[in-house]
Amino acid sequence: MIGAVRGASIVLIVALFACKVESKHPAIDTTGSSDPKVTSTAAVGTSSVSGARIAVPHAGPPGEWQMPAGDYASSRYSELASITPQNVANLHVAWAFSTGVLRGHEGQPLVIGNTMYVVTPYPNVSYAIDLAQAGQPLKWKFRPENAQQAIGRACCDVVNRGAAYADGKIFYNLLDGHTVAVDAATGTQVWRTKMGDLARGETMTMAPIVVKSKVIVGSSGGEMGVRGWIAALDASTGKEVWRAYNIGPDKDVKVGPKFKPFYAQDKGTNLGVSSWPGDTWKTGGGAVWGWLSYDPALNLIYHGTSNPGPWNENQRTGDNKWTAAILARDADTGEMVWAFQVTPHDMWDYDAVNENILVDLPMKGQTRKVLVHFDRNGFAYTIDRATGEVILAEPFVPMNWSTGIDLTTGRPRVVETKKTAQDKNVKDICPSLEGGKNQQPAAFSPQTGLFYVPTNNLCMDFQARAVTYIAGTPFIGGNAPEKGGPGGYRGEFIAWDATTGKKIWGIKEPFPVWGGALATAGGVVFYGTLDGWLKAADARSGKVLWQFKLGSGVVGNPVTYTGPDGKQYVAIYAGIGGDMGLLIAGDVAANLPYDVRERGTTLPDIARWTSWGGELFVFSL
Amino acid sequence: MRIQIRGLSSRGRSIRALSAFVLFSACNRGAGARDDTANAISASPGQAAVSHLLIAGDSLRFVQHDDNLPVGFPASVKPLVIKNPYEGDKAAIITGGKLFVAYNCLDCHGADGSGAMGPSFQDGRWHFGGTPGEVFESIYEGRPDGMPAWGGRISNDQIWMLTAYVRSLSSKDLSTENFTGKTIERTGH
Repeated sequence: MIGAVRGASIVLIVALFACKVESKHPAIDTTGSSDPKVTSTAAVGTSSVSGARIAVPHAGPPGEWQMPAGDYASSRYSELASITPQNVANLHVAWAFSTGVLRGHEGQPLVIGNTMYVVTPYPNVSYAIDLAQAGQPLKWKFRPENAQQAIGRACCDVVNRGAAYADGKIFYNLLDGHTVAVDAATGTQVWRTKMGDLARGETMTMAPIVVKSKVIVGSSGGEMGVRGWIAALDASTGKEVWRAYNIGPDKDVKVGPKFKPFYAQDKGTNLGVSSWPGDTWKTGGGAVWGWLSYDPALNLIYHGTSNPGPWNENQRTGDNKWTAAILARDADTGEMVWAFQVTPHDMWDYDAVNENILVDLPMKGQTRKVLVHFDRNGFAYTIDRATGEVILAEPFVPMNWSTGIDLTTGRPRVVETKKTAQDKNVKDICPSLEGGKNQQPAAFSPQTGLFYVPTNNLCMDFQARAVTYIAGTPFIGGNAPEKGGPGGYRGEFIAWDATTGKKIWGIKEPFPVWGGALATAGGVVFYGTLDGWLKAADARSGKVLWQFKLGSGVVGNPVTYTGPDGKQYVAIYAGIGGDMGLLIAGDVAANLPYDVRERGTTLPDIARWTSWGGELFVFSL
Repeated sequence: MRIQIRGLSSRGRSIRALSAFVLFSACNRGAGARDDTANAISASPGQAAVSHLLIAGDSLRFVQHDDNLPVGFPASVKPLVIKNPYEGDKAAIITGGKLFVAYNCLDCHGADGSGAMGPSFQDGRWHFGGTPGEVFESIYEGRPDGMPAWGGRISNDQIWMLTAYVRSLSSKDLSTENFTGKTIERTGH
């Protein structure tokens, strides 16, 4: 709570939530939002979409997992088909490995040949595991230098979302703002480049991709008043090839002759300055901490940008370009080709950094080259990936801050009573600042033509206040206590038809689904839950076919590969953390005798079901 | 009167906003505040009350951490046991609470110090010691997990008021969690 709201109101709120804690079904929050304006997701549609395809092929052989999402398209789809709805009930633990590190294990391992590569949360140790030998001994481990100060400069736990592989090297980011290249065969550091400035709150948590011998990276720090950027490093030397800021003058943002935005409001010069008051753009956020995609045919990199800073919208009137936006950039130069601001003048902390999944979909009789994006703001967008035109945008979770997207401008129609403002407490906004979906990436199956989306169902009260920029400290200016959304569940794993904007089926979960999805040609989809279940569901019906309780909550993403023995394996990290596991849960830690926290109202029961951990689990039939 | 927070920011507007805030706080101090604090609160670090400093010609001395003292060794120097001039001063604690917001401590340590990016102050537990001198030292020098060093950037008096405030929060026994007890509001980032 902020100081101004202490007192009677806090007592009232605590009393209200105490009732829910004592309910007979502690795993399910039945309080929800009582706001009558909350609307549910779209009605159930047809069960599959034919003629859909992933835009870019799987990287490497089908049995390997060489990229964070398996391919440049961010599909998280595998052609492996040994595990099926008929036999998945026989899935069992093949082996497990402790990473030696606690806190949020977002991200996923890579598998190249007979070696698995694992990167831990801070201090970002990496391991090469020999899959060809019984007992899975290590080939090497690499322990990078990594400034301890970074722990307290990272807004939302000390996570790392994984490594990229190319040309015999493993590339990943360190929390303290460095990018490193490690020899995949020996574990020796090939190069190490300082990219982020820790003193200004720039940490690095995202997973790079490698495009044409360039390592593409971005920084975190949307809550620290950074000025967000994306950059390319030479994969062989580590030298910076280009860097594009997401805010500021056109020269810095790399807006030039190639820039052809679809919507009128995005045309003009130096919009990255003129859409901000004064020099507030210099501390305006717009960080690149999410997932990257790449279309080789268009030679475009797609990335989102984070929320504008500070949260208090009063300090930054205007559209605040290009925060909370999806940007398409030339892969060779970083030049902006199109931009779509998902939430102009965001005032709810709705980052637009979620993955952009590149697929070709049949839409109204013709095949469209699209990207599909499930935004924090609760809308699922199907966008022409060559032009930035929004083809459709529909809510995929309960929401009430907007009545829909105006397709002539791409802008949301905002509900007046849900606009946040300095020194006001705006109640019952859905989704909460964690978004309808957050970092947990969705998957796509060309077999069904459907997207498999881990979602949150939370609402919030938003209290904005004035804040002063002090470098290296949070630049937030707001507080937003959360609660379960309508319907008595706090997360749902859904199947989504992006050609119609309809939900096909959903598996309701007691907690936000903070782990990612995996789709397979066997017709089985996998996801992990915050309370520690790995689940396998039928891709067509959504029926849960198998589940196994892991040693800690899941905030990472399952992958699948073929082992040296020819069998199909499924691997996933257990290790609750991230924003949900550190800030929201608060009480899931057990290793800090000097920092013991009270349960939070948002997930008062999560610590009954899991606690911090750090372990890789591998399953097979 | 204008507070000097050199090195914090090059943005004059922000600094002026902070000074205005501190002046406001000073004006609202209750009867418990010492007469000289209104001046001390807005003094530049160089002018701040040297008597509270750890250095001042005595560089071999250190703030006493009782748990760290080796037993059986005769000490040639006596560690400093320093007192907070604002310990228990209600007005100073209120001002410290406002400084806690103004210097963005709140967004790291959580609402009312309940813990967020940084550790909780509500649990009666301290990573680097909880005596007034130890807490002062943590704020003054910073700590390795990302706690900034505020010494020389804000006045020592402000650090003492922050010390009084965070110590005033530390009253809960959270040793046992039985899932029927209280919850507190938390926010994500």
